[in-house]
Amino acid sequence: MTTVSSPTRAVGQTHALLDPGMDLTLRPMRYPRFFDRFRDAIKNTWTVEEVDLHSDLADLAKLSAAERHLVSRLVAFFATGDTIVANNLVLNLYQHVNSPEGRLYLSRQLFEEAVHVQFYLNLLDTYVPDEDERTAAFAAVDNIPSIARKAEFCFRWIDSVFELRRLSTRDDRRAFLLNLICFAACIEGLFFYGAFAYVYFLRSRGLLHGLASGTNWVFRDESMHMAFAFDVIDTVRAEEPDLFDDRMRDEVRAMLAEAVECEVQFAEDLLEQGVSGMSPADMREYLQHVADRRLALLGIEPMYGSRNPFAFMELQDVQELSNFFERRVSAYQVGVTGTVSFDDEF
Amino acid sequence: MQVRKRDGRLEPVDVNKIVRAVERWAGDLDEVDPLRVATKTINGLYDGASTAELDRLSIQTAAELTGEEPQYSKLAARLLVAYVAEEVRDQGVAAFSESIRYGHQLGLIGDTTADFVARHAAELDAAVDESNDLRFEYFGVRTVADRYLLRHPQTRLVVETPQYWLLRVACGLSSTAEEAIGFYRLMSSLAYLPSSPTLFNSGTRHTQMSSCFLVDSPRDELDSIYERYHQVARLSKFSGGIGISWSRVRGRGALIRGTNGTSNGIVPFLKTLDAGVAAVNQGGRRKGAACVYLEPWHPDIEQFLELRDNTGEDARRTHNLNLANWLPDEFMRRVEADGEWSLIDPSDAPDLPDLWGEEFEAAYRAAEKKAVKTVKARDLYGRMMRTLAQTGNGWMTFKDAANRLSNQTGAPGNVIHLSNLCTEILEVNSDEETAVCNLGSINLGAHVTADGVDWAKLRATVRTAVVFLDRVIDINYYPSQQAEASNPRWRPVGLGLMGLQDAFFTLRLPFDSDAARELSTAVQEEIFLTALEASVELAARFGPHPAYAETRAARGELHPQLWGAALGQPDRWSAVQAQIAEHGLRNSLLIAIAPTATIASIAGCYECIEPQVSNLFKRETMSGEFLQINTYLVRELKDRGLWTAPVRERIKRAEGSVADLAELPAEVRELFRTAWELPQRALIDLAAARAPFIDQSQSLNLFLSAPTIGKLSSMYLYAWKSGLKTTYYLRSRPATRIQQATVAVLPAQAAPAPSVASPSLAGPALSMAPVVALTLENPEVCEACQ
Repeated sequence: MTTVSSPTRAVGQTHALLDPGMDLTLRPMRYPRFFDRFRDAIKNTWTVEEVDLHSDLADLAKLSAAERHLVSRLVAFFATGDTIVANNLVLNLYQHVNSPEGRLYLSRQLFEEAVHVQFYLNLLDTYVPDEDERTAAFAAVDNIPSIARKAEFCFRWIDSVFELRRLSTRDDRRAFLLNLICFAACIEGLFFYGAFAYVYFLRSRGLLHGLASGTNWVFRDESMHMAFAFDVIDTVRAEEPDLFDDRMRDEVRAMLAEAVECEVQFAEDLLEQGVSGMSPADMREYLQHVADRRLALLGIEPMYGSRNPFAFMELQDVQELSNFFERRVSAYQVGVTGTVSFDDEF
Repeated sequence: MQVRKRDGRLEPVDVNKIVRAVERWAGDLDEVDPLRVATKTINGLYDGASTAELDRLSIQTAAELTGEEPQYSKLAARLLVAYVAEEVRDQGVAAFSESIRYGHQLGLIGDTTADFVARHAAELDAAVDESNDLRFEYFGVRTVADRYLLRHPQTRLVVETPQYWLLRVACGLSSTAEEAIGFYRLMSSLAYLPSSPTLFNSGTRHTQMSSCFLVDSPRDELDSIYERYHQVARLSKFSGGIGISWSRVRGRGALIRGTNGTSNGIVPFLKTLDAGVAAVNQGGRRKGAACVYLEPWHPDIEQFLELRDNTGEDARRTHNLNLANWLPDEFMRRVEADGEWSLIDPSDAPDLPDLWGEEFEAAYRAAEKKAVKTVKARDLYGRMMRTLAQTGNGWMTFKDAANRLSNQTGAPGNVIHLSNLCTEILEVNSDEETAVCNLGSINLGAHVTADGVDWAKLRATVRTAVVFLDRVIDINYYPSQQAEASNPRWRPVGLGLMGLQDAFFTLRLPFDSDAARELSTAVQEEIFLTALEASVELAARFGPHPAYAETRAARGELHPQLWGAALGQPDRWSAVQAQIAEHGLRNSLLIAIAPTATIASIAGCYECIEPQVSNLFKRETMSGEFLQINTYLVRELKDRGLWTAPVRERIKRAEGSVADLAELPAEVRELFRTAWELPQRALIDLAAARAPFIDQSQSLNLFLSAPTIGKLSSMYLYAWKSGLKTTYYLRSRPATRIQQATVAVLPAQAAPAPSVASPSLAGPALSMAPVVALTLENPEVCEACQ
């Protein structure tokens, strides 16, 4: 492994994706897929102002005490979740993914995380009129045990590579990969997926459409973030296959198992007062099912063999045809190209 | 586990009790497994839940099994009807006439209808036929229960069952019990439904039953602009969908003589309109909606096209308004010829909005001397295309075709200035007259069997529909003076069509086949002809509509003749023409094809004239999310032993396409193509072929999953050249989509990347290849037109 003492401008010379340095070369482009991701992400641009929360307030008034508890915990989780991801992106990912096109994507992702933070802030300001309660929502990472435990999990993995300035050794790279996998598979891929399930559960009951439509867009972005992270992982796997050994596999499994437990105890808290149609047992099964999928994406045998118990999540996998008169749509593309002509096929 | 009963007592959950309740409704649904519904319901329950929660959960649980077996949708529908019926019964309502009496006491039902029902109680009560509930699918009846059934003002409990509701709608429009029962039977067979405002309001104390209002542009002065805000708010409050032009109002930079200042243009005024529309809550159901029309010579056209962008200064964005271009042929010709285009301030050429055809062209050319700005016509057209691609908005509607091919423009000064919120209504209006239209749609699927169209049944449906559409005009409550000035004079109605795709599936006609186009044209001709015959009959009894003398029909010109179209039934046309010469017409306009999203879901058919968007998709509405499966395809797959979990998963993975389902013969895959897979040229050709038999217009959506300016500009030029009066949304799909959460990860996805030499990972698609990873675009539709 080469070690260099100053940022490398690797013009015309090949290096691996995780080799330390500051590659500035976009032509020839080494990872065009990252660049495609960047361009696709731009087409998904949305703004918080487009999300209409007006009907949510009426819905909130209709919720049972148990459902209100669920929503308030959820909002408290959302209050800080994306900020944590953004911090890891800046502190760790951007530093070590040594590809200018990869960094383009990460820059875009950072913008999206900022929009998500703004969206959830707007949500909180709308849902929680009381200032003390708002403050409490941001303090949830410290005060609400079920959220604190998830936060602790995240911080531990941020800290695990925080001191790493350069990925010089095999151990450094392994540590970095674990951090990346943690954020892709466990935090965005499991914690957020768990949270989205509650939102979509409520929507399947016709509740909180504003939250759900914003979540649709957040979910779409998060799907891209995960896809990009898995691109990076697969690229590293192709470049440095020996990093993906049995030890790595065992560590990833242990990490996901812990993430599932973190999320299950969060579910038990959210659902403790009884919500008809969503039991903690079903939620556990769902989370295990999602964890298995993350493992499959990493080429690792599933741990649980659980099936998705939530029919309303299957609804997320099919094309949406919403009545736009009722709500806004998340499907239009931004950034259309071409010039006027009259003989194109259509 | 225990449930809490209504009297507060706890009792253990009994799986057998749920099984028995499900079995009671399963009846002919042989693929339904009651035990499965019962156990799944209990899994989702918590200790101490109420029995009402248990009932609701069992309905939801049944509905959620629809993806595996469409019969569960019917089961869920029946469980829901039973739940609703119990809610009604629990308030002491055991018959239709009692629900009307109760509703009247609560201040919901109008006096006239209450009296009418009281007089005919026995006959009407006997007419209620609960077996019609068996026709409903879950999404339809859920929509009815959540939004259409009248509710107690305080308790919010429903006070009518679905069948009571339809009979109430019929009674609100009838003068005899026999008439009411006939109309009720037609609606409850789901062969025809009036549009939502009629379904909401007929028989109630607020009988605003019209769907569409077309408001002329404010005059170029402040008072007129604020009058329009007021009018729009009134119309919106009573559930109308609004089209409003803004072409007469001066643009940015124009001089204001009164103050010697300059105008800020139309954008700030539209921003105010946007806020006004959003503030009005339509009958407690939803926010209002409006579409603003602008002609392309207006100096603010470029800012107008940016109103829906999601970037830029929010003060210049209108998130609630829809936008449409009202395009003279001269503009399209200059686009084609790559000519220049002048932007002209309306204060310099105030007559332009009132002119069309050659008169417009002469006036426009004369006014070009005073142009505020000159642009390349193609550049502006390209901007329009970009707006369509990015927002779906900025509909392309054609001023000259609309006016040239209208029955209402027979006398000078009668000009169509815009279309409506869904681009299917084209009616003259003015400063003093706001055009109004009430709508209804025939479910063509209910008139077709594998042997073909039941023409006699179709004719009977059209005749009944026209009578009741006409009836609305007299009973209707008009929320504005301008609307009241227009509608009784012109008496236009809009009879539409839904379930065209159902008919094509039943007859196994690919959407883009010649046979499909011929059938759609023949059906439209039959509908229009029968509607004209019905309107003559009404004219013979009640006289022609007061403005009849101003129409082209009065000069002996009927709509197909304006087109120079070939006639399938020339003898009937001659006959009806002779009758019209003798009696006139009761209605100046008869046909308009509205989008029908809501009523099509109540009827359980595909929307209006649209191809299916997917074999598998979900609807998201205020009521929740609903999986919709192409039951024609399911039947086909079942017959071939292919309705299996792996095949279902493949369809889901393919976003509802069966193009790659190699087990199906090519002609079957061709039949079940989606809107994204059809050539859009065919959609335009079908629309153009039926257009001579539509005297207003049609809400024609076009679908491009990955639009480019080149494709769009070609497509819309073709639409214009085909003679279409209007187009509606451009539907597109997002660049990437949400990662599928329940479709199995493909083995290939989990495989390591192929080699270091190909870092682009060109090999197997990873977790979300954008090519297949698309979510359907869904357009904003106006409920009023549904």
